[in-house]
Amino acid sequence: MRKNGLAYWLILPSILFLLAIEFYPLGVGLVEAMYYHNRVQPFLTHFNGIENFVKAFNDFNVRLALRTSAIMVVGIVGFSYLLGLIAGVLLNQNMRLRGVYRALILIPWVVPPVVSFISWQWMLNDQSGIINHTLAQLGLIKAPILWLAKPNLAMVSLIIVGTWSRFPFMMITVLAALSAIPDELYEAGAIDGGTSFSLFRHITFPLILPVSIISTLLQAIWTFNDFGLPFVLTGGGPANATTPLILLAYREAFQRFNIGYGTSLAVIAMVFMLGLGAIYMRLQSRQGIYEL
Amino acid sequence: VVAARRQIRWGRVAGKIVTHFLLMVLSFFALAPLLWAISTAFKPDSEITTSLSFLPKQPTLSHFNTVIAQTPFLRWFTNSLLVAVATTVLAIVVGSLAGYAMSRWRFWGRNVYGNTLLVVQMFPGVMLGIPMFLLLTKYGLIDTLWALLVTYLTFALAFSVWMLKGYFDNISREIEEAALIDGASRLAILWRITLPLAAPGIVTVAVFAFLLAWNEFFFAYVFLANNTHYTLSLGMYSFIQQYTTQWGNIMAAGTLTTLPVLVFFFLLQRALTRGLVAGATKG
Repeated sequence: MRKNGLAYWLILPSILFLLAIEFYPLGVGLVEAMYYHNRVQPFLTHFNGIENFVKAFNDFNVRLALRTSAIMVVGIVGFSYLLGLIAGVLLNQNMRLRGVYRALILIPWVVPPVVSFISWQWMLNDQSGIINHTLAQLGLIKAPILWLAKPNLAMVSLIIVGTWSRFPFMMITVLAALSAIPDELYEAGAIDGGTSFSLFRHITFPLILPVSIISTLLQAIWTFNDFGLPFVLTGGGPANATTPLILLAYREAFQRFNIGYGTSLAVIAMVFMLGLGAIYMRLQSRQGIYEL
Repeated sequence: VVAARRQIRWGRVAGKIVTHFLLMVLSFFALAPLLWAISTAFKPDSEITTSLSFLPKQPTLSHFNTVIAQTPFLRWFTNSLLVAVATTVLAIVVGSLAGYAMSRWRFWGRNVYGNTLLVVQMFPGVMLGIPMFLLLTKYGLIDTLWALLVTYLTFALAFSVWMLKGYFDNISREIEEAALIDGASRLAILWRITLPLAAPGIVTVAVFAFLLAWNEFFFAYVFLANNTHYTLSLGMYSFIQQYTTQWGNIMAAGTLTTLPVLVFFFLLQRALTRGLVAGATKG
């Protein structure tokens, strides 16, 4: 204990911040979720146990939001992994302009999300956006496509933009995993007469699968928690069609002032995330990537 | 034999062409929103809604003038810079202290501490945002940049502690032990010997913390009310509420908001990519 005394002093500042910014609010939130608390009528505030959660399970909007969250996560993570895999495999060769392509593809990851979502909104604008303009010019469409104003199309737009913002990260993970594969494996495979597709299927893919699963899980967590994308791009509309659970919780708490109910929705979101998080931590420790 | 070899060579050339073509398509997809934003920012209003061309026919700086002279943009820029720089400095200080402890001591509770840092990253923003709003209101800290600063710092901790711990692990203890025998204190050793050796790790942490603070939107939106306290992300959002159809002004502001991180990115691309790889596998 005495020998380790200094270590505790060194981690103390970070522990204080974790307690103040993560765990104290978390505790307050867990209590708040069990209260009826509307900021418009503070005098009606009272403890109501699990009533908020019972209400949530019977709330049509909650079910719709969970469905929206699920579609967003599966769509965005799936497509961004696919694009990331293609980009990573292509960039893993010795070729000219490799660094340039890699830098350009990383751009979506650095541009402030609010700026890029607004720019996408402008490109997808039905009247004067570049995308409809170009499609009309090419004679592919007669009437403008209502990218953000029709429920199904708004979801498609959300998935396209979400994929755009997340595939660079996937590319980097795939590249990192690929660079760890020794060349000898490919040489042996090539001698055995494998085609490049069969080399990919039987050597490359199985070897990058563990890292792929972990980064996919991480991306699923981040996509589920993403507030800015639906909030800025579609505002959750039209008519709630693109409102994931996170956005619904925000709306209940801050726009309808139902602090208690909104927090209970956030707790439900948190439970889902901790489920995914537990799988992530298990896989991660089996991988031994965090060497303690 | 000659024919077969020629076939292989042609196959290779075709493969290269396909590779470059696909990478160009992906790069274009990645770059398009930024390019179009910049292009729009330099176009006069008459061209914005009609022209398909990337290059403006009559380039103009008028949107930039409007944004700088007639909106609180510079105020927001200063706020963002203050918060981002302070977050960066504190993330390095607090992160290197804790990272050093993680790397050099096997203290009781070390695993719990390390894993806690990772788990808190998975908390949904709203789960913290709603109660934090109540608490900050109660303590009179709502609508201040201080509230944002400590929040961003805490979010940067997982990355900075784990990243720096990884770098410290690779620095030999022998130099440190020699200095210990010479009577130097542990903190002096960390400051004079270990930290300079971990410089690449510090650069990576700095870039990450800066980007996190500069780009964050949700907590800024929940915490800040008065528009002189806004950060750039929040200011940008207030623009689309206010100037719904003035795309030239909005995109000029967007271009200026992106510029610093873009410069940062190209200067430090290598450190960043390395950090991303580590971040990808280390949370």
